This record gives sequence, C-alpha cells and structure tokens, in this order.
Amino acid sequence: MSPRHHPAPDILAAYASGTLDPGFGLVVGAHVEGCPVCRKQSAAFEAVSGEALAALPEAALAPDALADAMARLDAAPPIHMPDRRPLLARLVLKPRKWVAPGVWCAAVDTPHAPDNRVYLLSVRAGMPTARHSHSGQEFCTVLKGAYRDELGTFAAGDFAATGGELEHQPVTLGDEDCVCLFATEGRLKAQGLIGRLAFALADV
Amino acid sequence: MHDGAAPSDENLLARIGRGDREAFAQLFEAYAGKIKSYLMRLGAPPAAAEELMQDAMLSVWRRASSFDPIKAKASTWMFVIARNAWIDRLRRERTEFAYRGAYVVSNEVSDDEAPDEAAVRVETEAHMQVALDTLSEEQRQVVQLSFFEDRPHSEIAERLSLPLGTVKSRLRLALNKLRAHWEQYS
Repeated sequence: MSPRHHPAPDILAAYASGTLDPGFGLVVGAHVEGCPVCRKQSAAFEAVSGEALAALPEAALAPDALADAMARLDAAPPIHMPDRRPLLARLVLKPRKWVAPGVWCAAVDTPHAPDNRVYLLSVRAGMPTARHSHSGQEFCTVLKGAYRDELGTFAAGDFAATGGELEHQPVTLGDEDCVCLFATEGRLKAQGLIGRLAFALADV
Repeated sequence: MHDGAAPSDENLLARIGRGDREAFAQLFEAYAGKIKSYLMRLGAPPAAAEELMQDAMLSVWRRASSFDPIKAKASTWMFVIARNAWIDRLRRERTEFAYRGAYVVSNEVSDDEAPDEAAVRVETEAHMQVALDTLSEEQRQVVQLSFFEDRPHSEIAERLSLPLGTVKSRLRLALNKLRAHWEQYS
C-alpha cells in the first residue's frame, strides 16, 4: 500500500537538491524509497535542479583539472554491488539500548551529521510511549507496524515532521511491533522524571 | 557530425557511454566548473569541491552507458551524480568502522497478551524508584537537577560549586548505575 503521509514540498525539494541535513535526508529517503508519488515529485525537483546546475556560473578549476580527469579514466572501477536490501536491513546501527519495557532504540551511525540524531525506535505492540515534546525539528518515517498520535494514524512508509511545539504520546496500533526511523535536532523532552531518565538512558 | 551545431549534452553522454574520450573532454569543459560551483554552494571548501567534482566526472564516465535520454535530461542526470557524490562524501567522511557489527531488526516473539498500559507504567515507575534508591545522595542530586529540573550541566556545576567535569562524571556514574539496575527488568 502506498504511504498516505508525505513530506511537505519544501522538504522534498530540499531533499532532492541535496541541501537537507544528511540525517534528515536519510529519513526522507526512507519514505521516498517506498513512495511512488514522492519519487516522481523528487524527480521533478531534480530536473529543476539540473536546469539550475546548467545555468550556474562556473567556478575556476585547477589548471590541470581536465588532464587529471582524463588520466583517471582508465583506472579500473571499484567493484560496487548496489545494495538492494530494504532500508531496515541496510542501516548500520549502534547497539540497541533498552528504553522501557518493550521499547528499544538504536542509533544510526551518522558521523556526517553530528547535529542530527538519527535512530531507530521500536515499540512492542500494545506498549505505551512516554508523552514527550521536542526541542527542535523531528522527522520520522515508519518502517514497520503503525502508530497513532494527535496528528493521525501512521503506518509503514508514512512520513511525519514535527516541530518544537508538538507534545504527543504515540500509541502503537495493531499486533506488530512499530519500528520508526527518526532524525531529530535537539533532544526529546519527556514529561516527568521517569520519562526523562528513560530517554537519558537511551540517549535520545 | 560536423553540421555546425554543437552536439547536445545528451549526444555527448551517449558517446561517452561508448567510450568516447573526446566527448568526455567536451562534457567536462561544459560542466566541471558548474559542478564545482554547485558543490561550493552546498558548503564544500574549494579544494574539496574540486576533488568531489573530479569524483563526479569519473562517475559520469563510468555510468554514462546507463544514461537514458528518455528518462532524464543530461543536466538532470549530471546533477544527480554531483549531488550523490556530495552526499556519499558526507556519509563516508569520518565514518567509524568500529561498529559491533550491523544487525537487522529481528521479529522478536512478542507476548500474545497486550499488557495493560497503566500497569506497565506503574511497574516501570516502581522499578525506577527502586533504582533511584540505589544512588548515593550526591548522585541523586545531580540526577534530580539534570533530568527533573532540566538544568544544563554548567548551571548544576555552579549551583553545587563543583567543577563541570565532576558533575558530568557523577551523572555518568549515576546513569550507569540506574541502567544496570533497570536492565534487569527488560
């Protein structure tokens, strides 16, 4: 089934043009990969970026740039098998951390985006999560299962962007664990001491 | 071919796909400076932009045979290669390879009965209280200030007249203790 919640056009445009912070781009990419609508939209933005590229003023190149390029053409290309596994299998995760009963998270290693915290969160079916607010922008793509919060119902492939003002308590739906890929700037803020400690232990 | 009109970029790419070095040189002249310019706009310093541009142009050479003018214009295709070179670079840069090994999410066997939400929360809080009781008074104090009052470390240090490093190490020890205790219940 095609996803029903999509990134806003400005987010998709930033993604396609390469200007989105890489951690956030990873989360948008997780949605785009499984969303025919956004793939098409993204391709349209790429075409616009292509036009823009062709119209850019040229930066000065090193004097021997062309010669260097020509000299590299005969080098054997690296064997590069494209990884066609689903995203969930391709993500390189740090060890899982226990957050609460039935809940764990694992950071996705993104040294390229030290300010974006990217992680997987898994909540067992039927488990509550801590009510929390955000100290900054948060992107989320559901990879598996489904949850519901104040903004609606989000199933596998759906994308959600929340700003600093949202306080929510997501609840898993169905009988499958809910696994989401998140990117956040700033830390999550749980309501209450217990929730805060749980988040701190999990380092989210 | 010498009909007076410059060959289109699409035409050049098709020739490059067949190994035409002359066509590559022409496309390089047309795009290398623009790609470097684009990369600098994304934030790459000039030297890195030059290097990345070279990587992107090498990708153009290697992948040109997969270019399909029906699917995309040459400029779009070139743009995607340049953008991906940038993103790959960002991803690769400073990557640590010291993972404990990647693993994928396995389908854990979950209990058939869905635990009652409130009961779980009460239980969690009870466990947490027991865990908190294992902390020393000074550890409790920093935990309280940091996570309940949400004070920055620097402010806690000032308030307790402690060096910042002491606050951080005290907090770390406290969290380790809590985690060890709490993980018994997971």
